[in-house]
Amino acid sequence: MNKAKAKVVKSKSKKVLNVLITYCILIVVAFIFFFPCLWLILASFSKSGSIYSFDGFFPKEYGIDAFKTLFTDTVMYNYPKWFLNTLFISVMSCIFGTLLTILTAYCMSRFRFKSRKKLMKATLVLGMFPSFMGTIAVYLLMTQFNLINQQWGLILIYSGTAPMGYMVQKGFFDTIPYSIDEAARIDGASNFTVFVKFILPLSKPILVYTALTSFTWPWSDFILPKMLLQNRDLWTVAVGLMSLGETEFARFAAGSIIIAIPIIILYFCLVKYMINGMSAGAVKE
Amino acid sequence: MTKVLNKVKSFFVGIPTKVKNYFKSIPDRLKKKFAGAKEIITQGNSKVGASICCMGLGQLLYKQWTKGSMFILLQVAFILYFVFTGGADLFGLFTLGQVKGDAWFGIAGDNSVVMMLMGIFAVIMIMFYIAIYIVNVKDVYATQCAEDTLKEPLSFKSQAASLLDKNFHKTALTLPIIGVCIFSILPIVFMILIAFTNYGGTTVPPELVDWVGFENFGKILTLGQFAPTFFKIFGWNLMWAVLSTAINFFAGIGLALLLNKACVKCKAIWRAFPILAYAIPGFITLLGFKFMFSYGGPINYYIQQGGGDAIGFLAVNSKWTARLIGLGVNAWISVPSIMLLATGILSNLNNDLYEAARVDGASAWRQFIKITLPYVLFATTPVLITQFINNFNNFGIFYFLRDGVISDSYFLANNTDLLINWLYRISIDNNYYSIGAAISLIIFIVTSIISLTVYILSPSYKQEETFR
Amino acid sequence: MANLSLKHIYKVYPNGAKAVNDFNMQIDDKEFIVFVGPSGCGKSTTLRMIAGLEEITAGELKIGDVVVNGMEPKDRDIAMVFQNYALYPHMTIYENIAFGLRTRKVPKEEIDKRVTEAAETLGITEYLKRKPKEMSGGQRQRVALGRAIVREPKVMLLDEPLSNLDAKLRTQMRSEIIKLHKKLNTTFIYVTHDQVEAMTMGTRIVVMKDGFVKQIDTPKNLYKYPSNKFVAGFIGTPQMNFFQGTLKKDGDKVHIEFKWSEAKITVPYSMLMKTTPQYLDGTKTVYIGFRAEDISLEEDKVRASEAKIKVRISHSEELGTETLVYGDINMDGDGFAETNTRVIIKSAGFKEYKPDTVCEAALNIDSIHLFDIETEESIMPRIPEYNYLDCNVENGKLKFLGNSVDLPESAVCENGSGELLISVSAIKFDGDIKAKVIDNENINGQNLVSLDINGSRIYALSDNVLEKGEIGIGLDFKKLIINVGSVGISPMPLTNGLNGTFVMEKLPETINVKGKDKKVKTPHYYLVINGTKFEAPEQIYSKMFAATTGRKVYNSTYRYEWTPYDFTVSESGIEAQVLKTLDYGAEKFLKCAVGEEILYVKCDKVMSGKIYLVPEVNKVSVIESERQIRIV
Repeated sequence: MNKAKAKVVKSKSKKVLNVLITYCILIVVAFIFFFPCLWLILASFSKSGSIYSFDGFFPKEYGIDAFKTLFTDTVMYNYPKWFLNTLFISVMSCIFGTLLTILTAYCMSRFRFKSRKKLMKATLVLGMFPSFMGTIAVYLLMTQFNLINQQWGLILIYSGTAPMGYMVQKGFFDTIPYSIDEAARIDGASNFTVFVKFILPLSKPILVYTALTSFTWPWSDFILPKMLLQNRDLWTVAVGLMSLGETEFARFAAGSIIIAIPIIILYFCLVKYMINGMSAGAVKE
Repeated sequence: MTKVLNKVKSFFVGIPTKVKNYFKSIPDRLKKKFAGAKEIITQGNSKVGASICCMGLGQLLYKQWTKGSMFILLQVAFILYFVFTGGADLFGLFTLGQVKGDAWFGIAGDNSVVMMLMGIFAVIMIMFYIAIYIVNVKDVYATQCAEDTLKEPLSFKSQAASLLDKNFHKTALTLPIIGVCIFSILPIVFMILIAFTNYGGTTVPPELVDWVGFENFGKILTLGQFAPTFFKIFGWNLMWAVLSTAINFFAGIGLALLLNKACVKCKAIWRAFPILAYAIPGFITLLGFKFMFSYGGPINYYIQQGGGDAIGFLAVNSKWTARLIGLGVNAWISVPSIMLLATGILSNLNNDLYEAARVDGASAWRQFIKITLPYVLFATTPVLITQFINNFNNFGIFYFLRDGVISDSYFLANNTDLLINWLYRISIDNNYYSIGAAISLIIFIVTSIISLTVYILSPSYKQEETFR
Repeated sequence: MANLSLKHIYKVYPNGAKAVNDFNMQIDDKEFIVFVGPSGCGKSTTLRMIAGLEEITAGELKIGDVVVNGMEPKDRDIAMVFQNYALYPHMTIYENIAFGLRTRKVPKEEIDKRVTEAAETLGITEYLKRKPKEMSGGQRQRVALGRAIVREPKVMLLDEPLSNLDAKLRTQMRSEIIKLHKKLNTTFIYVTHDQVEAMTMGTRIVVMKDGFVKQIDTPKNLYKYPSNKFVAGFIGTPQMNFFQGTLKKDGDKVHIEFKWSEAKITVPYSMLMKTTPQYLDGTKTVYIGFRAEDISLEEDKVRASEAKIKVRISHSEELGTETLVYGDINMDGDGFAETNTRVIIKSAGFKEYKPDTVCEAALNIDSIHLFDIETEESIMPRIPEYNYLDCNVENGKLKFLGNSVDLPESAVCENGSGELLISVSAIKFDGDIKAKVIDNENINGQNLVSLDINGSRIYALSDNVLEKGEIGIGLDFKKLIINVGSVGISPMPLTNGLNGTFVMEKLPETINVKGKDKKVKTPHYYLVINGTKFEAPEQIYSKMFAATTGRKVYNSTYRYEWTPYDFTVSESGIEAQVLKTLDYGAEKFLKCAVGEEILYVKCDKVMSGKIYLVPEVNKVSVIESERQIRIV
């Protein structure tokens, strides 16, 4: 009897220890992930811009000068313009890229046409080439089509290559039972109607996931804009921020926070969809 | 371990026979493929013949006015394209230009690179044309079949309607395929071809570029300038890919498991911190970390306060500090995404398994080893492969952390550079285009072999085999 | 509100796998047909072909009077209920039910009326504003039914609709579907793997296995007269007991000996009159089947019974109203594994049976089932193939059952005595042989007449019901088998097969369009046999086109089949060499060779040498050689 009691006590204390350790680790993890962000936020409110005037992680004086200069001092660093450029490119690429990706995934999931397997294998192989292997070619192509220094050129590239990553979406569509399509067809719907009226409303999570990923890519890409947009006024935020040195650290931090905030908000609102979308695609490869 | 090796070995040893069988089966498959063509040629009537000679003519003879004229218009457009630019472009692909430009004499000259690009473009256009041509012949033959077998031939209207129903995939896939052809396939083919030319260095337009065969690969693997750098970078690149993938993967899954524990309250709040890291655009994070570890950054500030000398964590002479920082920063960026993925997968895991294991008296550790890990591994193998490839080709980390640093004993690279960074420096910063292209091809071969091997060993591949 | 006709329906996948083989069935209006069979038997494929979700490889499917092969599902006027309900998750119940009507552009008020009506019928009115997620399995299935009935389709197709429900709900929904069928007066086709559902719901049941139809019959007949071991074992719970044993005829009795056991029973020969005698000589092993309810352990029954066997009890399952007793007729058997000696006995009420005791069990010999050990077909067919009789041939005279008839020239054989097999279709109801009609039996549309000839029972098929009493009958000699002497007489084959192809030719023709003569080329279709062309009528070529894609119809080899009556001898046609004239008295036939094939052709007069045959093209039946598919 006593032994059993001792066992219970022992297991109880073990449990408490377990919880304690878990929380310790969690606090450390949270700190690791949060501290650099906190540092950036603090830096953006630093009165003097240079990183050399900091007390370690903390600015000596606080103020909102960095944000002010970001929007007023636009001669060298036209941040508002960059921000609008980035927004335009990202929104457009998001719309077209999502549309194309979803269409591709739907076809691959629902239609059994002759060259389907070949197409799937080809995309797999193409995906293994280093991502910017073709940048020089793209650059030359863009000069040929007169799309250098044009935002539409970037949008074209982003949305044109988006369908390559259709696998996650296809995995999601595969989980929607076929009998729904069949029932709808018996009810008189064409495949187009099935897609618009049934598949799309049922795949909100994956739509959101796709839209988000195809929005964030142009939003934070720097290779293509750096190469294709040579005019300072056409730059995106990524290219612009890269040109800021150590003495402009506060401005960099402020610019980063402004560009990060919308995405962070989006992610937090849609995190549930994200998890669904990611795992659906992964489990059903 | 030997088992695993044997499996990989047997797969790769099996490749020659597979290739042999593939080539052996070519006549049969060709026969099958051309059975349709043979049937059309032997069975087709004069109207089919008309369409074979001139796209759309047969359709017109069948009084399908809209369809016929559309085909004819396409044909005319293609012929115009071919006559005015396409033909010359195609020819240029082989010659890569014959007239050298000379500003002094005002000779415009041939731009070899553009000629190559446009040549490939012409090939793609021709392929599209051939596809349309085949569609045209098949269409008119289908009309003949319908007429001969007294079935109602498909009207243009019903065919157009079928593009939204039965053939919806054709409509839907047209734009994606065109986009991928122009922005993915065309550049890749271009770069593959560049690897076999002498483009780059001083040989850039207006100089004429020429085909050189495998010379570039020879240079990379043997020439004093490139070879040592290549092998050093390659070794580090492999190590980096394995290490970073392992760290990210296990840290991500571990974090997910930790957050999944029953005793953790307010999961959403704890989860928010990694998601925050995930949501911040990568370049901001990287630039931020660069500042953090820079000479004037906070880390050095504290070291100096403590009486030490400022350390150039990311400077030229640092090797392992920079590499470790790279691994850490990469983990900071990538762990959250793996965690999110694993969270999703864990929420799908059936609770009965754990209950059964508990009844059987399995410890928490055994449950983790025997149930959770295999399940998560199984579900994430495809992700593991993509993670590995992404890490192998992780451009951003060292591009931002050590921009502009060139180490001694490295040719146009530093000791943390991955192949892809080297590729960038060589081809985009320093114009060694053909060498860069050859490096890309090598990267491609390495990554595809590795991912193929991992894929063969993965449970999902095995399962696929048992299913089929 | 329509009848269906399935003729020679095939489903062949591109890899050559045949999912459905030669499915033939006529479904009348308002019938409730159940397709039942183990998984992978082709029942769902057949249903999906009717729905239009799966293409029909060959054959003709008619709904009402319209051939619907190749028609889109939405145009077939059918409705389907799926196993997983397939409700549209993002729509409310109302929208789910109304969707089919909306796409058909039914006016709004009409939709409203019909949806409300359907909802009332199914008792889901209060849920109309909910989403499918918020409903239980049973309610979802009701919605799925509602979605189907609201369109008032000609045919309702149900694909295992109750499989996802729990046992209690399933029983409840079962009776509701039956009620619905009565109310709607529509043809129902219902697929299930559950034989209880099949037996309780169907007016007729189609039992399928491995793509073949095993039996089509009413529930009662399936239970009483399973035509093969598969159907016998599939229908009824617990499964029928199968033993192995031999049959030996002894006068008017047949002794049945069970294998691996000392059990022996005796049945009157009258029960096995339709059985081929070769099973009755005591050497051939057969399956013996008894249902659990046809074996009894009750004392008074055992006492009164003639057919008793010893059973060693192994264990029993008490089910409340009845007890299932497991035992073995082999004293060494364990009674658990399913063997050819294990026996399950159904006994009423609670009764305790001690394990390892040996009891006597009474067999109800009236419901014995016997099956061939290899083909597993019943050897007690309801319509026998032949009547087996002893006979005597003497100088061209056939003597049997006290009658003597003259054998026609081509049926003459050596003198001696032996066996006479009279096909049930070889008896004509006019002639000199005196017989007495005892009984008429309607078996699946065929009328089987029992005749008495000098005290012996003879079966014959007739087109109409015959009055009981004296009648004169005659024999069709070409259908007789006489095993007398060394050679004997075998029946004349009634199908002639010839290989050939199918071609099309365009011939110029002048037609009158709006008062103007117009020259056009119209296609003509021909069967080509040995280089001779015969123009094919429309019904044949349209069926041939339906079974093939594109112009493939013009290149494949076909096998054309005719009966001997479908040929005429003419000046030109298929060249044939007469080998022999067969004279059966009333009819004469020519046995002739066309290439390597042998043909039998009816003729009026004796001929020899080279002749030319012209077949009646519209009576042809066509088999595609490549895939072994019957097309026409």
